[in-house]
Amino acid sequence: MSLEQLAQCIVQGNISEAPKLARKLLDDGLPATTILNEGLLKGMEVVGKLFKEMEIYVPEVLVAAQAMQLGVNELKPFLSGEGSISKGTVIIGTVKGDVHDIGKNLLVMMVEGSGFKVIDLGINVPEAKFVEAVKEHKPFVVGLSALLTTTMKEMKGVIDALKEAGVRDSVKVMVGGAPVSQAFADSIGADGYGENASEAVDKIKDYCNI
Amino acid sequence: MSFPRINGEWMTPKRRFLSGLFGGRVDRIPVGNPSSIATVELMAATGAFFPHAHLVPSLIADLGAAGHEICGFDTIMPYFSVQLEAPGLGSEMDWGDKDQMPDCTTHPFTTAEDIDAITVDKFLDTYSIQSLLEAIRILRKRYPDVCIMGKVMGPWTLGYHGFGVQNWLIQTKLNPEMIRQAIDKLKEFTVAFAREQVIAGADVICVPDHATGDLVSPNMYREFLPHIHQEITYRIGAPIILHICGYTINRLDAIANSYFDCFHYDTKNDPVEAKAITGKRISLIGGINDPQTLLQGTPEDVKREAVVAAKAGIELLAPECAIPTATPVENLKAIVEAARQISGLL
Repeated sequence: MSLEQLAQCIVQGNISEAPKLARKLLDDGLPATTILNEGLLKGMEVVGKLFKEMEIYVPEVLVAAQAMQLGVNELKPFLSGEGSISKGTVIIGTVKGDVHDIGKNLLVMMVEGSGFKVIDLGINVPEAKFVEAVKEHKPFVVGLSALLTTTMKEMKGVIDALKEAGVRDSVKVMVGGAPVSQAFADSIGADGYGENASEAVDKIKDYCNI
Repeated sequence: MSFPRINGEWMTPKRRFLSGLFGGRVDRIPVGNPSSIATVELMAATGAFFPHAHLVPSLIADLGAAGHEICGFDTIMPYFSVQLEAPGLGSEMDWGDKDQMPDCTTHPFTTAEDIDAITVDKFLDTYSIQSLLEAIRILRKRYPDVCIMGKVMGPWTLGYHGFGVQNWLIQTKLNPEMIRQAIDKLKEFTVAFAREQVIAGADVICVPDHATGDLVSPNMYREFLPHIHQEITYRIGAPIILHICGYTINRLDAIANSYFDCFHYDTKNDPVEAKAITGKRISLIGGINDPQTLLQGTPEDVKREAVVAAKAGIELLAPECAIPTATPVENLKAIVEAARQISGLL
């Protein structure tokens, strides 16, 4: 029974074995943070890489994230506070008028799987809620998601609202979603664009110097 | 003495589009819209605004017809969203707003057996489905020479509606047999709705079935869908287009073998590469990017893209997917102008 096997369980999306293995490693005396970082998160890192290389797709990532979550649930009572496992805070939400959550959820899972604390604002999020969340949680990055060409224009509204509230310079704003492109991100004054969840995670790590 | 040509054209829009669809001779490259080209500008011009224009037959017909009357397209597509079937499956709906597309807010199914609660007759009796059928009847009567395009979601997309996208995708890995059973049941709704549209007067049926490379692997497409698509195309019987947005190059070979007459491709795919894969097995429609070119570009940008697509051998020009409602009408008209220029008629 090893950390490598646990990581492999995550890569394979083995939702029945992942929690059992995590529990077994705890019973063997390994610290929960080691199991988290060297097992579960290591596995998700491989998942992110395979996703980026189009070796696996969204269903495989979703199932891997489920496996990871089940493993984390086993560890939770033994992790000494949230702070010890978080590399920083990221706020993510689907913009106003857009109720699509698959891309947003995928990003949430992959960012969490990379060790960040994520504040998931959900779908159809008005500008004011993004501003409020930035003021309250002081994140490194705000991620805006949109699936529709009809709602991507709301992303500029969020950036303008952050400027108006005087907090624009305190965060990096990233945008993503099927109709969004680097050119669009540049045109609305976003700091970054992720073509997919995996690329977005890489950029978030860059912003946080990780 | 010969019969005078109008703008140098000698085919009706219907003949032109259908001939292009089958890869045949045309007086100019046809222009169609397998997905919606409803815009706020067209809504204002016709007085048919969302959300009513999704559900009131006369408004559906007026807004759909604007694509032909105002923009000059060879087709009329009166189904503007991807959700008309969802209430028939038992989903609750948010019909959106003037510039917001409808979406289903609940997903009634958790198992394939749950689908058995919905009979085909009950499904067809749904208000949103009956409204579209009535709109097609109106359009058929009004436009005998224009290609009326119907639309029905394929079983994969109906699965997204019925089970929720995330749950559907997860179950493809955890319970593939359940997904296979669900697809088999859901395809009956696809076939029945399409047949009703043909009876109402549709010349062509577009089947969006979003097993896109942006979500699922080519193996998953090959595992679940080609044989179902072959059955659907045979049973619907009419000229038929498959629409899958996003990246599809890595499954295009399988798509070309699914017996559809035409594939509506996204500009995420290189048209030269796409044509090299499909050859004459299936026609390709599309070529014009939505968020950059149609929404934010100029008519000249649109024409440049049209030329690239035509040079690649794409049989029919179209926006790549449902366009943003803020798209300027002049950019839509530019696709038709480009088609005339490419074919030497201007």
